[in-house]
Amino acid sequence: MKQPDILIVDDEQRYADMLAKRLEMRGLQCSVCYNGQTAIDMIIRQHYSLVVLDLQLPDLYGIDVLTEIKKCRKETTVVILTGHGSAQDRSKCLAEGAYAFMNKPLQIDRLVAIMSELETSANEGTDK
Amino acid sequence: MKEQISKKLGIVETRFPGNRKEYLHAYYTFQDYGQIWGMTIFVLLAASLLPLVIMTIIHYQLIERSIDTESLLRTERLASNARRAVTFFLEERLDALTFTANEMSYRQLSDLTSLSTVLKNLKLGFGGLTDLSLIDDTGNQVAYAGPFSLEGKDYSSQPWFIECQKNNACVSEIFLGYRDVPHIVVAVKSQRPDGRFYVLRATLATERLIQTLSSFRTGEHADIFLVNREGLLQTPSQHYRDGSQHVTIPVPEYSDRTKSLMTIDNQGHPIAVGYAYITTNIVPTTFVLMVVKRKESMMKVWLDLRAQINWVFGVSSVIIAIVIFLTSSFMVNKIYQADREKAKTMALAEQNFQLASIGQLAAGVAHEINNPLALINETAGYVRDLFMIKQQYKDDQELIEHIDAIIDAVERCGTITRQLLGFARRFDIQTQAIRLQDMVDDVLNFHKKEAQYRNISLRVNIPDDIPDIKTDRGKLQQIVLNLVNNAFQAIDDDCFLEISAAMEDPEHVELVIRDNGSGIPEEHLSKIFEPFFTTKKEGQGTGLGLSITYGLVQELHGTIRVDSNVGEGTAFFITLPIEVDKEMQS
Repeated sequence: MKQPDILIVDDEQRYADMLAKRLEMRGLQCSVCYNGQTAIDMIIRQHYSLVVLDLQLPDLYGIDVLTEIKKCRKETTVVILTGHGSAQDRSKCLAEGAYAFMNKPLQIDRLVAIMSELETSANEGTDK
Repeated sequence: MKEQISKKLGIVETRFPGNRKEYLHAYYTFQDYGQIWGMTIFVLLAASLLPLVIMTIIHYQLIERSIDTESLLRTERLASNARRAVTFFLEERLDALTFTANEMSYRQLSDLTSLSTVLKNLKLGFGGLTDLSLIDDTGNQVAYAGPFSLEGKDYSSQPWFIECQKNNACVSEIFLGYRDVPHIVVAVKSQRPDGRFYVLRATLATERLIQTLSSFRTGEHADIFLVNREGLLQTPSQHYRDGSQHVTIPVPEYSDRTKSLMTIDNQGHPIAVGYAYITTNIVPTTFVLMVVKRKESMMKVWLDLRAQINWVFGVSSVIIAIVIFLTSSFMVNKIYQADREKAKTMALAEQNFQLASIGQLAAGVAHEINNPLALINETAGYVRDLFMIKQQYKDDQELIEHIDAIIDAVERCGTITRQLLGFARRFDIQTQAIRLQDMVDDVLNFHKKEAQYRNISLRVNIPDDIPDIKTDRGKLQQIVLNLVNNAFQAIDDDCFLEISAAMEDPEHVELVIRDNGSGIPEEHLSKIFEPFFTTKKEGQGTGLGLSITYGLVQELHGTIRVDSNVGEGTAFFITLPIEVDKEMQS
């Protein structure tokens, strides 16, 4: 079975599931988890091309999770997806190495676009 | 000139206009500055002028009283002097006659030659005598010396002869007598050696007496004359004579000494009357000496003084009034300005507070709504995916349209919540130097086509000496764009839109966006920066444009205010710091 490419971390279970389903319909493999610690564990265990991370998690701050991810897997692309991100959050996250900062509600095509960007750059990387 | 003075004193602007901005009204300490101004002037005027008025009135009364006293005193003195002169005149002649009667025998006197010699000597010694005659006890004139031929006249029935018989001497009234010439008769009775009496009589010409009297007349309206006790004029009076030679002033009651009184003459002039009943040491007379002076002629000095007092009073009142007017205007204006500043600040503070609370509430609502919104979005998206990607209902256009409607609605809600959050939140500022002219040109470029089409004249008036300002380009652009958009919606075709800038002080620049459009009603002015306040029809505007603009200006550490008159247009004044970083540090 193909390894999932994307990990969706969001405390709103139905939202995370729905997003995952929609991405899967678009041919992307998704995993879902609903809190920060599980997310970190999963990322340590396995490589994901893209992590879609909410900032408000029940156990940890999303930004701390981001820091953790960047510590153990620097190459992982993290996109922040939040319901109420301030500019400070945005600049902080971008400084911490987030790839993009997006606000809910999301236009799913943007995520798909990011994935294809990643694939393209990965292919270029391998070509080299 | 007046304007200059007012300007210098700070009495500028209006005289506390009644039509103060309604929304500021509640914040004023005093409601009616016109009334306070009036009251201040009134109280100050009353407090400072009342003592002056009272002093002046007292002064007037004192003067009036002293004028009366002084007039009476002076008239009395004059009357007294004149009386002495008249008495002396008569006494002198009576004495001379007495002396002659005693010195010379009846025989000598009855000799015409010696009587003429006596007359000559008397004329030389005293003067004023016209003739001299000797009358025996039957009233027959025995001898006469003088210019007329009056020998042999019978005087027995003449009143003076009767009186002389009784009182041993007499001074007659002035009468015309047989000669038809006004004269006074003075006569003394003397005893002959045989026990019978005789009378030595002299006629006095009245000229000397009149002359003596008129020498006492001083001043224009002073009159001095003799009357008998019935009021018949004995010597001419200039002003107080009626057709029958009677004096027009009542003759005062008898008094043995000189007196004076205040009365009013027949023309209504107040006069001081000094009078004396003339009595010689030998015999009383019927003469009453009267001195009449018009009060006003004596008051000249006093009137001058009063005029001076009036002047001093008038001038000082005017000066006091002017000083009070200017000081009160200045002070009340200062208080008014201070109060207006206070009211403005309070209104602004309250507005800021309200906006901040609304902002917090809005942010809270946006926060809470955003998550379910996201879920709706994804769910609707999922359903759409099911249709589109799995192709189950691909051809059912109606369903797809419904789903798209849901997604559209969610998108719109998302926009609103994002804007709400933007209103409430302070974003980081990225500063860069901006040339206002360029920025304004950029913004107006968006509207060039529309302006041409609608024949709206766009005016930009930004002086070259306005320095570049260091602020967030995006936010400033957004501010100007929002306001220009607003203006374009408010103005009709053929109107104008003007953007101008000026240095407010070395640290701040003021940007003014002015139009001559429909204007904003006063009751809306205080609310236009509130979120969701809109006058547009439902669905056409979110009512967030100006509140976002307000938030943006705040973020740039500026202030925004609006001035608008319905039918005349609207002006937004934005004051921005030249360097927003500096402002943040301070």
